[in-house]
Amino acid sequence: MPQGFGRYCMMNLIFKAFAKKLFGAGYERLGHTVPVCLLMFAGLRAAKLRFAISPSVLYLTVSMFTAGMMWQALSSEDQSASMQNMLMLPFDRRKFILSYVTVLGIYTILTKTAVLAVSAWTYTEFWGTLLCMIHAVFLAACIYGQKRNRGLCMVWAAVMTGLLIFLREETLLFPAVAASSIFALGFLQGMDGYVFYAPEKGSIRIRKSGGTCLVWRYLIRYLICHKNYLMNTAILWCAACVLPSFLGQIERWFVIPMGFAVLSLNTPLCILLSCDPALEQAVRFLPDGKKRFCIPYCLFLFLCNLASDGLYLGSFWLQKGGVTFGMIAAAVVFALQSAVLSVLLEWFYPLRGWKIESDLWHHPRKYAVPAVMLFLAGAVGTAPGILPVLMILPAVFCIISVMTGKRMVKKMEEYNDEQRTGT
Amino acid sequence: MLPVQSTESRKFKREAGEMGSALLEIQSLNAWYCREKRVLSDFSLKLSEHEVVGLIGLNGAGKTTFLKVLSGLLPTYCAEAVRFRESPVALRDSVFKPFRYTVFAEDRSFGYFTFREYLAYVFASYGKKQPNVSDLVRGFHFEDYVDVLLKDLSAGNCRKVFLITAFALKAELLLLDEPVNGLDFQSTEYLYEQIAGYREYGTVLFSSHILESITLTSDRVCVLEGGQIRQTFKSGQIDAAGIREVLHDESDL
Repeated sequence: MPQGFGRYCMMNLIFKAFAKKLFGAGYERLGHTVPVCLLMFAGLRAAKLRFAISPSVLYLTVSMFTAGMMWQALSSEDQSASMQNMLMLPFDRRKFILSYVTVLGIYTILTKTAVLAVSAWTYTEFWGTLLCMIHAVFLAACIYGQKRNRGLCMVWAAVMTGLLIFLREETLLFPAVAASSIFALGFLQGMDGYVFYAPEKGSIRIRKSGGTCLVWRYLIRYLICHKNYLMNTAILWCAACVLPSFLGQIERWFVIPMGFAVLSLNTPLCILLSCDPALEQAVRFLPDGKKRFCIPYCLFLFLCNLASDGLYLGSFWLQKGGVTFGMIAAAVVFALQSAVLSVLLEWFYPLRGWKIESDLWHHPRKYAVPAVMLFLAGAVGTAPGILPVLMILPAVFCIISVMTGKRMVKKMEEYNDEQRTGT
Repeated sequence: MLPVQSTESRKFKREAGEMGSALLEIQSLNAWYCREKRVLSDFSLKLSEHEVVGLIGLNGAGKTTFLKVLSGLLPTYCAEAVRFRESPVALRDSVFKPFRYTVFAEDRSFGYFTFREYLAYVFASYGKKQPNVSDLVRGFHFEDYVDVLLKDLSAGNCRKVFLITAFALKAELLLLDEPVNGLDFQSTEYLYEQIAGYREYGTVLFSSHILESITLTSDRVCVLEGGQIRQTFKSGQIDAAGIREVLHDESDL
């Protein structure tokens, strides 16, 4: 067998190994996302629906979003675990890197960011968007892999961001982006496959254990250990501060609940059980799981939501003034309602079959709670009088949960007594 | 020499007179992951009070699936009858849950708890008062890790967390899925002691690929094949050579 053919086969096999993991054994995932994007693209064109977006904003958004998604895919713990055996075998580092980055890039573009390309109206914009996506993929992989000279790579990324913002002339921008992509590709070829493997940290830290507020401790540690979750929460809180100025033109009693509804979109905190199937199994397996885990989890989400709603109200008060008791009550109701709904979704409809954690972050289910909350916001905006009714909803749920829990405990005690007395 | 079946525990069983009364009875259990292929087919087993039962079989025989069904984690099953202490019970029912605890073959749950916190959480869930577990911690050589997050522990040490919890909890039915895997030599010997001594508190059903672990601790050994019990070795008949022969025949089939 010629050596070149053998190398091609090896590359093809590495590509297949990663692609099948991400897209499914029969690449069935492509069959879901690509037609959706094509339909949206065709639909928008047929309906002649056009959004006025400046090309530079489009290119910048696409680049940033793609780079972020690619980074998330590269840093997935699950990805590292699947690389372990592959890296143990002898491999050609160039072929390995090329296959790995290409698969992750295709995955990121087709399943995460392709939907942004539908906003491109002209052919130039479409090809420009595609070029920016490919560039973002290679650049993100380069920065991720280059741990020693990351500062230098960041400067490179900053220069490219500057070009995307300020260089309006596409005949100059596209060659610059293409050149940067080729340079990044060349840079990647010089790297070793091990740079994409993040081994488990070997350090063991002694913690102060406690016997109270166990689930709270667990959740806070979980949040602290996942910096991206913290970052997401911080971004949401920043959004809470600026949201009143964006929604400034809308009627006051619509603005407030709408803001609360939008701020319930804290995806990473609301997918705790979905992204940790072992935890979900353990919580379901142990007795009293609903009460022991779900109630503190719900309260945790409630406080996180309340914090962002509080920031939003504070910002609203500073910008517009006139925060009433009713608005504060609405913040509490919306925070509790969205927390309850999020936990119910996690308990009854946890997400399964995901390939990497990033899939969970972008699953359509994330919009379910905000959609319900937006509907409720519309209802409250139209008839503020229904707020007390909404206030009752989570309370009713809580009462039912506690009653069910008590009944179960009572039933168990009766059963135990029966066993003891032999009746 | 390992304490295989202590005289005390046998004496306990005789005095209690409970060996033989059924703790859990499963009749004609069928379980599957996809409907076309049943992992357990017409599977029946009766577990007595204060008994140690070992499950052995080749890979794919259905050992882990059976333990998952008993733990309420596999909803795709049907059975003619499931009785706990002669009363019909649903395996996912909250009434049954407090009577059993399972140590899974692979479990990386509660990664952000320390051992102490996990223990407190489990005892709170079972509504029991937390006992002193220092003997168990010493026995499993786990003293240095009680305040380390579970996610930072090695696979063997993580297994010890769940084993110590299991033996401290003393649930009526203890299910262990390949408990020996990942344990060091000393901890393995201590585990055998704990399994053999557990009949004082309840019943143990455990699966293993290590013949020694089964022969040294069990009152009864069930050899699984194709989702059914092919042969049962009762106390007095349990010897490694006999079981090995059945397993060899099974692999030849």
